Amino acid sequence: MIENLISLFFRELEAGRLVGSKCKSCGQAFIPPRKLCSNCGGETEILNFKGEGTLESFTVIHIPPSFLKDVAPYVVALVRLDEGARVMGRLLGCNPNEPEKIRIGSKVRFEVLREKRKDREEAVVAFRPPKA
Amino acid sequence: MLARQVCIIGAGMTAFSGKLHRDKTCRELLVEAALEAEKSVDKGIDLKKDVDAVFTGYFTPEIYEHQGHIGPLTATWLGLTPKPAFRTEIACASSSAALYAGITAVASGLCDVVLVAGVEKMTNLETQEVTEALALASDDISESRVGATFPGLYALLAQAYFKKYGATWEQLQTVTIKNHYNGSLNPKAHFQETIAQIAEKVGSKYGVKYRDELDFLKNSPFNRVIAYPLRLFDCCPISDGAAVAILASADIAKKFTDTPLKFLGVGLASDNLALQDRVEHASLRASRHAAETAYKMAGVKPKDINIVEVHDCFTIAEWLAVEDLGLVERGGAAKAYEEGLTSLEGEIPVNTDGGLKAKGHPVGATGVGMLHEVWHQLRGTAGRRQIKNKAELGLVHNVGGSGASAAVFIVGR
Repeated sequence: MIENLISLFFRELEAGRLVGSKCKSCGQAFIPPRKLCSNCGGETEILNFKGEGTLESFTVIHIPPSFLKDVAPYVVALVRLDEGARVMGRLLGCNPNEPEKIRIGSKVRFEVLREKRKDREEAVVAFRPPKA
Repeated sequence: MLARQVCIIGAGMTAFSGKLHRDKTCRELLVEAALEAEKSVDKGIDLKKDVDAVFTGYFTPEIYEHQGHIGPLTATWLGLTPKPAFRTEIACASSSAALYAGITAVASGLCDVVLVAGVEKMTNLETQEVTEALALASDDISESRVGATFPGLYALLAQAYFKKYGATWEQLQTVTIKNHYNGSLNPKAHFQETIAQIAEKVGSKYGVKYRDELDFLKNSPFNRVIAYPLRLFDCCPISDGAAVAILASADIAKKFTDTPLKFLGVGLASDNLALQDRVEHASLRASRHAAETAYKMAGVKPKDINIVEVHDCFTIAEWLAVEDLGLVERGGAAKAYEEGLTSLEGEIPVNTDGGLKAKGHPVGATGVGMLHEVWHQLRGTAGRRQIKNKAELGLVHNVGGSGASAAVFIVGR
């Protein structure tokens, strides 16, 4: 039976945890978890991430989708987790109006952003520079 | 390899525009482009009698026009029922998928003549709604929900590229400046003004004098940030438009023209949908794969190509494209652009019609729209923007989404 892996991902995210999968053949890790590896098609196993990573790229969204029009400008980051998977999330703890101060290559730590969207609250993957 | 040779015997295109087609639907646009394609066939063609099948690329008709089932809709409005007709969709490369289907149908022998169309009717919606429609091409779970817009995804690629190669946003503006210049020579382009002309216009309105084009792009509040570091003039506009190509097998093509163009190389590739599932971000792997397949089939090298149409939905996309196609070495785009390698008079003219940036990007129409430009350049009928070098080989490069789809077609006389 194929498990409800996307439901699992969101359930874990709600609880403040980041879950994905790691390929038993090629070793590549992915988020959200998936039955078959997106790199080689191999079988995978569930992997719980520690949430430590490195900022690989970022952007500041000034023209947002309508559900985020009161939040913009905000920072979207592409992070490489220490376990090897990459994940996109919001970057907190920095000023979106000073993008030149954000450093690609700096360390970031995972957290859950609980964001109001229309009539409900959505759990969103987010990162923040660790406290010095 | 193709089981039999496939040729282009006709091509037509509406103007790509943000204003002209406001009150039309995709139906009128498809008819306009098809009639021009019909007229372009040297010895004439009877679409009803000669066309065996119809393939239409349209990314999101459900959102823009509350309309699905575009295949038979196209056939209905062109008077081509009961011919087989279906729609293809791979985001911004939707009509390249239609070309792929059309080429496959003819090469296999299933059809002798096919009509391939592409269309998108975007101006029905407000900018924010269009942004949300385009976001359907990205991964809903890992990208859209986080708030990454389409310009945002290309901004992430741009940042990764800048970091890797030390290039700057200022250098990237060579793409905007070149493509607006080319667009100024194209009567069907969405924008037909150079950046200098726009700077002059905006400057006189607000009483500001700009030193040069870069000064305007860098310092005018008019060029506002969309997704840092990409600004308004780094992004293609929201356009309506349609394009049509008519394909035939080589033996049948003789009946219609003495100078058909041949598909020499055909490549289509996919990559992991979400940026986070890809290993590299300063290059698009699908483009490299599609190019490799097409070059190999055609038996040619990048340096053999005379005219290139690449997917510049954002300025950075053009740099990635010329590198992924092997026209410029990896990390070498900034230098090549500063030296004018890809300008109209350069060694390898790129996006002679203004590209998506200035010609416009009615998403589903773009692939066939690019082929339409190569058709004119290789036949010597591109008017004021006709390249001076001898044009024997042309290349079309069309990307879907943030690079999860890419198509490359190499065509020759």
